[in-house]
Amino acid sequence: MSESTPTPAFKASHASRMVTLSLHAFTQLVRMKVFYFLAVFAVIVIGSNFFDMAQHQGPESVGANVLRNIKSWSLGAMALFAVVISIVATALLLPRDIEDRTLYTVLAKPVPRIDYLVGRLMGVLLLVFVSLAVMDLLMVAALHLRTGMVMEMQEKMAVGRGWPEEAIQSLKQETLASGVNWQLQAAVLAIFLKVAVMAAICLSVSTFSTSTLFTTVVSFLIFFIGHFQADALDFYLKGVEAGTSTFSQYLALGFSLFIPNFQLFNVVDGLVQNQPITLLMVGKLVMMACYYVLLYTLLAWWIFSDKEV
Amino acid sequence: MANDAPAVEITDLVKEFKTTMRGRPLRAVDQVSLRIMPGEVYGLIGPNGSGKSTTMKALLGLLAPTAGSCKIFGRDSIKVDSRQDVGFLPENPYFYKHLTGGETLRFYGRLCGLGGSVLRERIEVLLELVDLKDARDRRVGGYSKGMLQRIGLAQAMIQHPRLVILDEPTAGVDPVGSREIRDLVLKLRDQGITVFLCSHLLEQVQEVCDRVGIIFAGKLIREGKLEELIAIEDQTEVVIRHADSALVSRIEEIIQSSDGAELVQTGKPRTTLERLFLKEIKRDHQS
Ligand SMILES: Nc1ncnc2c1ncn2[C@@H]1O[C@H](COP(=O)(O)OP(=O)(O)OP(=O)(O)O)[C@@H](O)[C@H]1O
Ligand SMILES: [Mg+2]
Repeated sequence: MSESTPTPAFKASHASRMVTLSLHAFTQLVRMKVFYFLAVFAVIVIGSNFFDMAQHQGPESVGANVLRNIKSWSLGAMALFAVVISIVATALLLPRDIEDRTLYTVLAKPVPRIDYLVGRLMGVLLLVFVSLAVMDLLMVAALHLRTGMVMEMQEKMAVGRGWPEEAIQSLKQETLASGVNWQLQAAVLAIFLKVAVMAAICLSVSTFSTSTLFTTVVSFLIFFIGHFQADALDFYLKGVEAGTSTFSQYLALGFSLFIPNFQLFNVVDGLVQNQPITLLMVGKLVMMACYYVLLYTLLAWWIFSDKEV
Repeated sequence: MANDAPAVEITDLVKEFKTTMRGRPLRAVDQVSLRIMPGEVYGLIGPNGSGKSTTMKALLGLLAPTAGSCKIFGRDSIKVDSRQDVGFLPENPYFYKHLTGGETLRFYGRLCGLGGSVLRERIEVLLELVDLKDARDRRVGGYSKGMLQRIGLAQAMIQHPRLVILDEPTAGVDPVGSREIRDLVLKLRDQGITVFLCSHLLEQVQEVCDRVGIIFAGKLIREGKLEELIAIEDQTEVVIRHADSALVSRIEEIIQSSDGAELVQTGKPRTTLERLFLKEIKRDHQS
């Protein structure tokens, strides 16, 4: 037997262990058949095609609703699905490892706990990324097809009404602009960033909770607080006297150091109203997301490093 | 790293668990010290709840000691790299249900830094060794208890560790299987691998271990070389086949007439149930 050969010392790098763990988490989630939800998404995208209110006005408004509907329904569904997937998947991994005692088998290998945590987080993010990419593809395909159809209709109608060539061209441009474009991709990126922050928060909750249910509930709670924090603070700031406003500004700042303002990631609504997303906005969101992901990963590490499994 | 460092060195290990908010903490391990030299097979025996698993988990850094320290080949268990040279089989092992047997070994191998053809060959060898070749492409979720135990053993040995820690390796395994596990432990010993195992099946511990420790209520109450612990120095056993009653009575006479000797018991030796079981199965297989 080859057993008696002298034993070489193997050593994995942090990166390779993290990749192994994240691919493992990804496989685990995929084999739980999470991707079935994509069928639901496809139904939503197709369904959003039919919410066209009959309009008998000029060519400029024909089909504009359809395009807007496809965008707002798809992006809305993407945001919802992505958040649900990331929270549920993250909440599932660590508590289940503890419950099934599979965590022993991993941590009994030379695996630093930070590698374990980051690997799990990366696995969930990979899952979210792939889901978003597939949904994005579906949305773009639907939008592209539909834009073509709308333009054809508009042209026919405009020609029928004897519009000048110039006006037809500019109408076409306008329709194209509200079809597939890079702004949409920026909106999807914003969804991904928001969900990444949420997954990191959920990870740190799961390090001290003992059950999937608790983790899920608390994470959704934080998610909602993150959405309403801006409004609540606004309300509070309006209520206080002008003299104490520096104090309340610090309070607001302190609060936002820990609880992200998820409202800022909601570029979707503006986009559907054809408000452009600037590069600066995207940059800011990326920075913000990095900060919170780092913060919550470190927090998770801090709790998890002393945890007895 | 000194090569003559003990494979396992546990010094005054104490582990307490908080039970309720106000109640006194439960002392699961109480001042245990033990030392296992490289190449030894050490058996820790004790009744349920005596602290065997807790000791092993502390040794692996899965639990933080309340007091005392654990070292593996001279490296403190709290440090991650102390686990480079250890393979662990937990009690009632449970692996990722969504992976197949082969994928399971690949996953743990990767975590230890193996890869490529080295890992592939290693998986081949181990699957052969634990007799799971036919089940390599089946999901671990569908494995029987004995199969889980065997895939667990393979997983523990994936990176050629110099120390293998087995928590009740034969729990839930049938006599044939547990005999195979016993043979595997002996094979490991022949390769110079240190084995630290625990069990409450005394007979099996007796068959493989060089040294044993007896733990009771968290305290190590007895420790030593196996022969020294169990030999009854002033007695001798003679087993005779086809002895008729005349021969037996003559032997008894001789014993009575010799000075200082005393007959303690005569009778028919019984086969153990385990031996009987194995014999019957073998016969069944042959016919
Ligand atoms: N995580 C824990 N929290 C609280 N008490 C624990 C914990 N783990 C073990 N104990 C307690 O510590 C004591 C020793 O447990 P341990 O699992 O080490 O026993 P054991 O010798 O392995 O028993 P068995 O033969 O049943 O496996 C038991 O009383 C047990 O209830
Ligand atoms: Mg035990």
